[in-house]
Amino acid sequence: MSYVLKRLGRSFLTIFVVVSASFGLIRLLPGGPLDYLRAQMIQQGGSDLSTAEINRRIAAQTNIAVDEPVYVQYIDYMTAIFRGDFGQSIWYDQSVAGVIGPAIPWTVFLTATALFLAFTVGVSLGAFMAYKEGSTFDVGSTGVGLVLNSTPGYVVALLFIAFLGYRLQLFPTGGRYASELTPGLNVPFLASVLYHGTLPILSMAIVAFGGWALSMRGNSIRVLGEDYLRVARLRGLPTRRIALRYVARNAILPMYTGLMIAIGTVFGGAVIIENIFAYPGIGFYLIQAINARDSPLMMGAFILITVAMVIGITVADLTYGWLDPRAKGGASRESY
Amino acid sequence: MSEFERMAEVSMTNAERRRQWLDEAVLAPARIVWDDWRARAGLLVVVTYLLLGTVGPLFVSEPKPNQGPLLVGAFRTLEYPLGTTASGTNILSQIVHATPSMLVMITAGAVFTVVLGTAIGTLAGYKGGQTDSVLMTVTDIMMTVPGLPLTIVLATALQIKGNPAVIGVLITINAWAGLARAIRSQVLTIRDDEYVEASRIMGMSTPTIVAGDIIPNLMPYITMNFVQQARAVIFGSVGLYFLGVLPYNKVNWGVMMNAAVNRAGATSSPSAFHWLLMPMLTIIVLALGLTLLAQGADRIFNPRVRARHAKSVASGDGDTPNTGDI
Amino acid sequence: MPRDSQTERRGAHDPIIEVRNASVTYDLEYRDAMVLDDVSIDLRRGEILGVVGESGSGKSMLANAMMDAVEEPGITTGEIRYYPERGSEPVNILDLSDEELRSLRWEEISMVFQGALSSFNPTMTVRGHFEETLDAHDYDVEEGMERARELLEDLYLDPDRVLDSYSHELSGGMSQRALIALSLVLEPQVLLMDEPTAALDLLMQRSILSLLDDIKEKYNLSILFITHDLPLVSGLADRLAILYAFELAEVGPSEQVVRNSQHPYTRALLRAVPSLDAPLETMRPIPGSAPNPANTPNGCHYAPRCPLATDECHEETPPWFDTADDQRTACFNHDDAGDAVPLELEVVES
Repeated sequence: MSYVLKRLGRSFLTIFVVVSASFGLIRLLPGGPLDYLRAQMIQQGGSDLSTAEINRRIAAQTNIAVDEPVYVQYIDYMTAIFRGDFGQSIWYDQSVAGVIGPAIPWTVFLTATALFLAFTVGVSLGAFMAYKEGSTFDVGSTGVGLVLNSTPGYVVALLFIAFLGYRLQLFPTGGRYASELTPGLNVPFLASVLYHGTLPILSMAIVAFGGWALSMRGNSIRVLGEDYLRVARLRGLPTRRIALRYVARNAILPMYTGLMIAIGTVFGGAVIIENIFAYPGIGFYLIQAINARDSPLMMGAFILITVAMVIGITVADLTYGWLDPRAKGGASRESY
Repeated sequence: MSEFERMAEVSMTNAERRRQWLDEAVLAPARIVWDDWRARAGLLVVVTYLLLGTVGPLFVSEPKPNQGPLLVGAFRTLEYPLGTTASGTNILSQIVHATPSMLVMITAGAVFTVVLGTAIGTLAGYKGGQTDSVLMTVTDIMMTVPGLPLTIVLATALQIKGNPAVIGVLITINAWAGLARAIRSQVLTIRDDEYVEASRIMGMSTPTIVAGDIIPNLMPYITMNFVQQARAVIFGSVGLYFLGVLPYNKVNWGVMMNAAVNRAGATSSPSAFHWLLMPMLTIIVLALGLTLLAQGADRIFNPRVRARHAKSVASGDGDTPNTGDI
Repeated sequence: MPRDSQTERRGAHDPIIEVRNASVTYDLEYRDAMVLDDVSIDLRRGEILGVVGESGSGKSMLANAMMDAVEEPGITTGEIRYYPERGSEPVNILDLSDEELRSLRWEEISMVFQGALSSFNPTMTVRGHFEETLDAHDYDVEEGMERARELLEDLYLDPDRVLDSYSHELSGGMSQRALIALSLVLEPQVLLMDEPTAALDLLMQRSILSLLDDIKEKYNLSILFITHDLPLVSGLADRLAILYAFELAEVGPSEQVVRNSQHPYTRALLRAVPSLDAPLETMRPIPGSAPNPANTPNGCHYAPRCPLATDECHEETPPWFDTADDQRTACFNHDDAGDAVPLELEVVES
């Protein structure tokens, strides 16, 4: 129990540090976003705007009251963020939360599905490769895995768009669902969501599963050589139980750390993939914000991506503690 | 035990010692690499790119518009082997002239990660206690911050110029955290090994123990990570250049891809597709070469493989499996 | 040339497992490696037989061969006969089908390994190991778990605590005892123990050994106890078998072997082991090193290190000599061994 609390505390600390850092980025850097915003406003409003008026507008957009002392600005900023107020988007002229909030589920849908697909396919393939160690299948799959592991997701995405999207017209090249449909729990909508999500998800999953397969293969081969496996065979346990309860479980567990790092990679990768497929998720808005010099939107997107990732990693970490008895008591993840 | 006695009885001359050092430190790894086709292929690829980045620009003309006809396809003419862009720029020139800054970026990012990760990981693992818990808290926080978005935000906020070394570091800004954690747990297991304890009892200083006993054991980890980071820098930088969120002052593989897609619609128009494909192949081949080389490097650090290849080291039982006790 | 396999005469004793001319070979690329060379020995019903040898002498192979558990690509040849009851028809273990082997192992012949910690699945409780074993052999689980608790108690463990623990939560001694209990849960007749105490400290070794005697009596076991530690086992075992470089050197009652060994290797071994009872100056290492399994000498395997070796020893495999009552020694010069390798002390009180 105390382990869970400690873990949650650390997650909260991470978010706290990231939000503080983003305050620092916005507020303290010379020539940074705040100065840019000010210059932008002066340019737009000309001399009509008084300094006080500009400061007021900046405060409304970024939650930072420039004429207050730094620590007051900091406290204001932090309280606003933790109340869910990320300021105003300059480009979209609405609250940042209003722009990004609806995008979150879409990004989570893409990344979680891609991660799940890559992991399950990779692990099954890797186990099978280990079982057939040295066979043509094993050698061939290792080769394919190496090549896929050396390919960035966006390359696959671009190839998909070029061939399956434009050339063969099999899949849409952008968007989250067909625009004529009404969002909701109806079959055509859900089907359209899957249809539009297929290529982005596959782009992320295809480059990742090779890596999972290779590490699962290595881990399985190692477990197959363990003493307890030999003892289990001598005890006459059924093959099925040995395969699942002994080999699979002990081979998959060490990969959990990798899974946590992968959550980060997938979130990062999604930024590029979403832009290639013009898929309005958080990453899409992050790049939009940068191109439009919309710093409140940029920081909001960044903070929300971090929060999503921290939640993902925390869940993974806590389930790991529950799956692997050795991880209890906080000495987690030392055995990889 | 008999090994010991023999070593002690025979006193080696300095020349012999030097020859043995050369054999163990240089020739044996070289033989190992050459023995394995994957490592050989990887080495070949990496050396090719190194040449491309160092002497390549001397032989290939600088890319500029109207070097040739517009949108010549790849592998059609000898003059423009990889084709030309929509403005008639030679794609081969672009790829070659983008290589030097790419190599700087890769090296900067990988070195930054490996040095920082190893330093923090060994320090935390070896010192333990308060140092450990502070360092690991920082590490854990860094690990849970999404790397690529952080890079994007920092690159925008810091107004960096197109210096490739800075970009390399920026792209791997929090990658050291994963390595530091892995290194720390390795150090924790090694720290209590008998030979390290022996060094401690003999009164060796902490830096000596870390440098002499601990770091060599971590080399496989470190090399693997170096290559992984190199790959991450390639993937990340090209991706971000492609998105157009990184500043640049020279041609870059990602910038090429961006131009191909945005200016010539390379995804929808087959006549411009080679413009997009060539930089993508360039990345994949380099990443594959690095991966293969890493696997070979793993063999170099495997003492058993090594002993078989070092001629000066008596490799008596090298080939017989341990059949005695299970 | 196979050695006289009649040396162990049937009838006089009641064997539960007979090993005859057992060899284990590994087919390596350029030559065969023999890791057990033509070994014949009986495990008698109700005895503790100590098998002593240096690491790599093939003693683990002997135990593995006795339940046909030598790992691929090792090949076991010879005969291993198991007599479930006195005078019953023997079961030829090396001829059994996979399914027959599956029920023989653990139900009739069980084994305890050296690394207890690594013998348990790290992600499963000790209870899980007991239950799955009972389940796999179609035993009544509830009844079996009762027996497991009793076994654990007999081994001075708290059943509830141990059963609900994972192996990493147990100390070395506790997990070793839990492993012994696990090996006995299907009520086997024979227990093969492969260096079961090597990883433990001295006190824990002694206390497990003393438990072993009680367990043996209570559950009517015949035990093969493999170790490199001659003094450790000499007090426990009824008989000792000394293994050197994949072949047997000497077999006999413990007392006799320790006090009156006729084999130069056994004697050298007795002098080489440190003992609490013996002054350190009397310790003598054995010069030279044991041969490689792929390159064993032609004659007596010990000849290259033996102070008594003659040309005969280098060329011919020594036959068995009956050197005392129930004691046999494979040495041409067994008569001179006592003078050539003197034991300067009262070795190891049993």
